Amino acid sequence: MSDFDPGRRRFLGHLGLAGLGALGASSFLSACASSASGPTTSNGSGAVTIQSNLSSPQAKAAMEKLIETFNAQGKGTASLNTIASETFRTQLPTYLTSANPPDLYTWYAGSVANDYASKNLLLDVSEVWKSLDDYPQSLRTLSTDASGKQIFVPMNNYWWGFFYRKSNFAKWGVQEPKTWTEFLALCETLKSKGVPPIGIGLGDTPWVASAWFDYLNIRINGAPFHRELLAGKQRFDDPKVKAVFTRWREALPYFDPKGKAYPFQEATTALLAGKTGMFLIGTFFADAAPKDALGDLDFFRFPIIDPSVPLAEEAPTDGFFASAKTANPTGTKALLSYLAGVEAQEAYVKASSGIVLPANPRAKASDSPLVVKGKAMLDEAKELTQFFNRDSSDALQPTADTALTKFIDKPDQIDAILREWQAGAEKVFKG
Amino acid sequence: MTATISTTSVTPTRRRRRSARLSPLLVAFVLVPFAVESVWVFWPAIQGFWFSLTRWDGMTPPTFVGTDNYVELAGDATFRGALVNTVIWLVLFGGLSVLGGFGMALVLQKERRFVGFYRAALFTPVVFSLVVTALVWRVFYQPDGIADTLLRAVGLESLIRPWLADPQTALYAVILPALWRQIGYVMVLFLAGLKAIDPALHEAARMDGANAWQRLRHVTIPQLKGVNAVVLSVIVIDSLRSFDIVWSLTKGGPYHSSELLSTYMYSTAFQSLRLGYASAIAVVIFVLALAVILGYLVRAFREEAS
Repeated sequence: MSDFDPGRRRFLGHLGLAGLGALGASSFLSACASSASGPTTSNGSGAVTIQSNLSSPQAKAAMEKLIETFNAQGKGTASLNTIASETFRTQLPTYLTSANPPDLYTWYAGSVANDYASKNLLLDVSEVWKSLDDYPQSLRTLSTDASGKQIFVPMNNYWWGFFYRKSNFAKWGVQEPKTWTEFLALCETLKSKGVPPIGIGLGDTPWVASAWFDYLNIRINGAPFHRELLAGKQRFDDPKVKAVFTRWREALPYFDPKGKAYPFQEATTALLAGKTGMFLIGTFFADAAPKDALGDLDFFRFPIIDPSVPLAEEAPTDGFFASAKTANPTGTKALLSYLAGVEAQEAYVKASSGIVLPANPRAKASDSPLVVKGKAMLDEAKELTQFFNRDSSDALQPTADTALTKFIDKPDQIDAILREWQAGAEKVFKG
Repeated sequence: MTATISTTSVTPTRRRRRSARLSPLLVAFVLVPFAVESVWVFWPAIQGFWFSLTRWDGMTPPTFVGTDNYVELAGDATFRGALVNTVIWLVLFGGLSVLGGFGMALVLQKERRFVGFYRAALFTPVVFSLVVTALVWRVFYQPDGIADTLLRAVGLESLIRPWLADPQTALYAVILPALWRQIGYVMVLFLAGLKAIDPALHEAARMDGANAWQRLRHVTIPQLKGVNAVVLSVIVIDSLRSFDIVWSLTKGGPYHSSELLSTYMYSTAFQSLRLGYASAIAVVIFVLALAVILGYLVRAFREEAS
């Protein structure tokens, strides 16, 4: 189930996308929402079918509410199919290539969407983007395919950072570090107090290690190099990539040794219990945190290593794309315009349990201090990246999992590991 | 068997007449399942072989690449590792479950107080689904879990490690739960076999002065021949199709150290989306299974003939 990297997605589902909001709960909603693993048909005048992987109770309810509101507005009718995230992931190619596909899908921006677009499977939604003038350029670029047309409509994004408990940092008498040197000094202090400084959860969720790779690479080599590397235009055995691991090695002694054996959900528990000092993770982790601990949580940005490298942050974006074969492109675009609007996005944020930022700049985010700080961090960034598998592909993720967990275990073998990684990546790019 | 063959070959006319009278119902009983099998089993199997000669991502049409996938397999270190692990699995999992199951059956064959309870207790793991088994064992292996607590209690702290996350121990840590489950199953098969042995044979052997070991060696084991065949096929098939327990505990990790052919095939197909290459691995598994089973059948027939 939460097998490969879908674990993360399922959690994203919980909170991230949760706010799809109010597509209308027409009479068939309840019937469709529970089951439906196969594509549903729709004809030119009929309801727009939206295939959603937001299966956690809160997210599903929010989605039903959004559809209901849309249907009440009379601009069209829509029906919602909610599908378990893992089923959705494996079925998505089948949906898109079937003769009679569902119209609209919840999914991710970036190379995942571009990949489908290059196979002519996605609907050109440039028309919807005409009304999204005030969306930031970064999101527009992210939603544009290689041929220059928009194929994605973002709903919200979230951020990654070093999360910690304020009360614990106060107890240990330490402060947020800004630079790599300060960060290592902080680790040393925590270690001397008998706390494993850096939490991680690689058992079952080895993709968590990719966050370290992504961040070190964008801090040392910059986001453009990172993207080229993940697109197969640079080599993993390049000396620039090795430099990433030289830095990482400086921090390795401070990792929680138990982190290898448990998944990120348990690493979250360890952090909250004060058994680790801090944890590099996306905001979705808060889903597994008890509500009373949320107020005590804070985060700092991944420390600066080379100040001359333009600041970039990981900000995975969730949203929608539509099938090129939809029988009802007008209705689909109307629904997309509604979902991209202020009303729907605010309804979504309100309904979602987690810490997400609406994509529409005019929609109000939750005003919790954590969200305000996260938004400020992303606004300050010159570049945004998504996450390893979203900037590359799901197929490349297992090669990263193998290489990174092996490095954490056997840092001495880095040259061989990078050679293997490059060989594995070439196979994936070759197909 | 030999008798039948000779009669039919001597009287071919009679056989022909008999087949002409085959009832349509009988024909239907053969043809209908055959048609269903063709669609759901044979055709996909042939297709799988064809896919192994292509490059395919599951979305765009497959492109024919000849034997490229097999050439790549020959040089693939992960595949070799998975092959070695599969052999280790066959030997350890297969061997130990036979020994363990037979041992348990011998211990529990005599009717005495509570023996029913012990038999039931040993059989219980078979009832759980393997995924549930995996959950239970994960708790057992987790850091500061039961395994670590036990080791600490007997003063063996130095042995403690992340059992499922250490490449040295991951494969063996996964074999253990698989065995835990399989032993109860094999035990039941052997118990049935032991019950079927005529007590008079043992009685006679005892009168002739055979000790317990001699009776086991010369009476019990030869009498279990029929059961052995069943146990052997069950073990070989279960070993080669082992997947769920590995997948739910380690997914073949950390870094392929507990990878079996089956898990490697699955991850290549559905994670890396290289369905052509995965089909080539599937063909290898098929050939292996065929070789083991044919090898066994040929031996069994030869024994029967002699």
